[in-house]
Amino acid sequence: MTVILAYLYIAKTKILSSLVYRFDVFSTLITNFIMVFALSFFWKVAYQGVGSVDGVDEKQMITYTIISTLLSAAFVFDVENTINQRIREGDIALDFIKPVNVFGIYLAQDIGSIASSVMLKAVPLFIVSALFIALPLPASAMGLLLFLFSCILSYMILWLLSAIVGLTSFWIVELGPLGHVKNALVGTISGSFIPVWFFPEGIRKVLELLPFVYIYQLPLGIYIGKSNFLDSIKGITIQFVWVCLLFAIFYVLQKKARNRVFVQGG
Amino acid sequence: MVMIDVQNLRKDFIVSKKKKGLRGAFVDLIKPEKEIFHAVDDISFQLEKGEIVGYLGPNGAGKSTTVKIMCGILQPTSGSVMINGLSPAANRKEVVSKLGVVFGQRTQLFWDLRLGESFELLKRIYRIDDNLYQTNLKLMDDVLQINEIIDKPVRQLSLGQRMRGDLVASMLHSPEILFLDEPTIGLDVEAKYSIRKFIKEINQNFGTTVILTTHDLDDVEQLCSRIIIINHGKIIEDGPLEMLIDRIAPYRYLIVDFYKLPEEINHPEIEVMKKENTRVWLRFEKNKTSAAKLISDLSLRYQIRDLSVEETKIEDVVRQVYKS
Amino acid sequence: MLKHVKHYISVGAYSLRMSFARQLEYPSFLICWVIGNPLNYMMGVWMIGVITQRFQALNGWTYPQIAFLYGISLLSHSLSVLLFIQTWGIERMVIRGSFDRFLVRPVGVFFQFCIDYINLIGFTDMIPGVIIFVYGSSVVNFEWTFFNTIKILLVLVGATLIRGATYTILGSVAFWTKSSRSLISMVHALFERTTYYPLSIYPTVIQVIFTFLLPFGFISFYPACEFLGQDSGFDFPLEFALWTPVVGVILEIIAVSIFNRGLKKYESAGS
Repeated sequence: MTVILAYLYIAKTKILSSLVYRFDVFSTLITNFIMVFALSFFWKVAYQGVGSVDGVDEKQMITYTIISTLLSAAFVFDVENTINQRIREGDIALDFIKPVNVFGIYLAQDIGSIASSVMLKAVPLFIVSALFIALPLPASAMGLLLFLFSCILSYMILWLLSAIVGLTSFWIVELGPLGHVKNALVGTISGSFIPVWFFPEGIRKVLELLPFVYIYQLPLGIYIGKSNFLDSIKGITIQFVWVCLLFAIFYVLQKKARNRVFVQGG
Repeated sequence: MVMIDVQNLRKDFIVSKKKKGLRGAFVDLIKPEKEIFHAVDDISFQLEKGEIVGYLGPNGAGKSTTVKIMCGILQPTSGSVMINGLSPAANRKEVVSKLGVVFGQRTQLFWDLRLGESFELLKRIYRIDDNLYQTNLKLMDDVLQINEIIDKPVRQLSLGQRMRGDLVASMLHSPEILFLDEPTIGLDVEAKYSIRKFIKEINQNFGTTVILTTHDLDDVEQLCSRIIIINHGKIIEDGPLEMLIDRIAPYRYLIVDFYKLPEEINHPEIEVMKKENTRVWLRFEKNKTSAAKLISDLSLRYQIRDLSVEETKIEDVVRQVYKS
Repeated sequence: MLKHVKHYISVGAYSLRMSFARQLEYPSFLICWVIGNPLNYMMGVWMIGVITQRFQALNGWTYPQIAFLYGISLLSHSLSVLLFIQTWGIERMVIRGSFDRFLVRPVGVFFQFCIDYINLIGFTDMIPGVIIFVYGSSVVNFEWTFFNTIKILLVLVGATLIRGATYTILGSVAFWTKSSRSLISMVHALFERTTYYPLSIYPTVIQVIFTFLLPFGFISFYPACEFLGQDSGFDFPLEFALWTPVVGVILEIIAVSIFNRGLKKYESAGS
């Protein structure tokens, strides 16, 4: 219980510290709105005179875009940079001897950041988008429920991927921008911008074997009603498998990292 | 010849006050509270060519702010600074080409490259011709043994070596004025020694005016002909070190070991400061009496085993000044 | 004057050498960028291709035409990364007091600041930039006449200056507010949404904003319209390709003067 309280406290301090940046709050809202606004026109132009493509119409695609931007505004995964920075500054050994699990701390910090992102970024963005673009309603109540559940798994995939990339800095410090490669992949083949279902079939099949589409495309597809109940459950199961797999990799890596710090003295 | 002329200098900073707690954070988000902080509050002084001046003050007194205004990094809120008759705000490039600046806490050398590369860049920035560059490097090598580290990457240098590198970097273009902000901070005895020697030599050989901010009073004692003390943005003392000591603490200490500790020591010129076993610390005013006289007076009355005379510690003087 | 120019060139050339040497100290650092950036942009343009294939030409722009526009935009982006990436970090430099070093040296501060770290990452953006541009220009049968080549070069110079100046102006906000990182990400988002596909997909009012208020249309859209004979929706006297460098130079002059004004507000760090 006290451990949970400690994590809650960490999350709370994170919320507080992100409130300090008033200026950032407003400009990030504007940036995100520009993104949604521009993308919605992109789809409007693409759909001109076209009813639906792959069973998705213009309205659904605009909803997809709005919710996608909301998600990426809300998802915070600083764990990668935190690990990298702690290693570079030599503080990681101190973190490892703390009585609470250090990765629990990082996760608590990120969740605190998410809480403030939802308040300060996602909710205002939802309101502004609803007023000026379209009200992005879910396809069904069941869809919304499955979407929320799927989002949690999405975030776990994203967080674990970042933590794994962060952990690689134990071996190669200068590999910092490995995260950049990962972000490039998340930005392009996770369906955050253009859903993979529009891609040629061969490529789509390959991409569905990777974890990336399960970060954005799956929950968004559920939200707009592109996937039916059975497909959604199937997708969520695959998400769960990915979470387990990535957690296993993460677990092994962090064990090795600890050994490295304590045996070789960092 | 007046080298630096500071008149009624002021520098204000606006700082925002942070409120406590989640509610406070929300209030700050909507309506932050600001307040003005006078970092430098109406100071004036003049420095002559060739002086070495110690610029002292507790942390946050406004030392670095003054130095940064003098070398053109910060703009004053009001008042003026003239370096050799020119204002660094209006003629930045001209003024700074005659200045050398070292910030002890921060290096201006390129971390990943060999030390010599940083010098080469400075050679181009200050348009130092080959002859002068070689002569200066040679001179610096004599005092700071720079050649033994010139080919090492800066990140591999020890703190003392890096400071040597920074000093050389600041002197390559033979500046008329050298600003040193805590040049000996964190250094070992040997490194401090060579840096003090360097400062003395360039001052004697080139007539370089040196402004030194430091917390190390040995630096001041060994180098500075004059000290300026600043606190809360105002100058509280300005003059030669000896004069300050004579005025604030014109004392010496006589430390006496007796065979047997006397019950009481009565002497009109003596004040007992501290007793420890058979040792006693006695304070006297150096312009009223002499140590020789006191020793002969005391040895008439008591049996003395051993004794020594100590000067006022400069730390005590400065601490006293800071407090007032 | 000539002496002045020679001085700056010698400082610039040596800084360039040092920047490269510094970055080559960490080769593995570069490898990730060499993989990441081309991947990002090649996928980006390819996905627009997918959309034009599954849907239709975007507002009358075919995929090769968009690739041509995308190529111009990306090339100017890579050049602006090479020369102006420092401006993205003004916030950090203001907070850390990193301008002290430049201010005590007898060379222009903005110049020292930009050349302090010429970023090799710019080259990793240039790889896909060249590939996409060469692909686009060959599929749209762009004629590499002498005049067209000069025009393309002028456009690239102008577009690079527009990008660099915009970063500089918004980055300089940090001199007053201590914070500009979020503005820089806003500009990234704006560039991404206004220069990699035709501006004409937006309503007229948006296009007016990105022509007169924030002249990002001159980075790639108007020049591409001119070269491809596409309707831009606006009639400008003279050729658009000539406007890009003019806009770029004007904006850069404004940017440097704002930067210098900001520098007077600079508070260094600590005390």
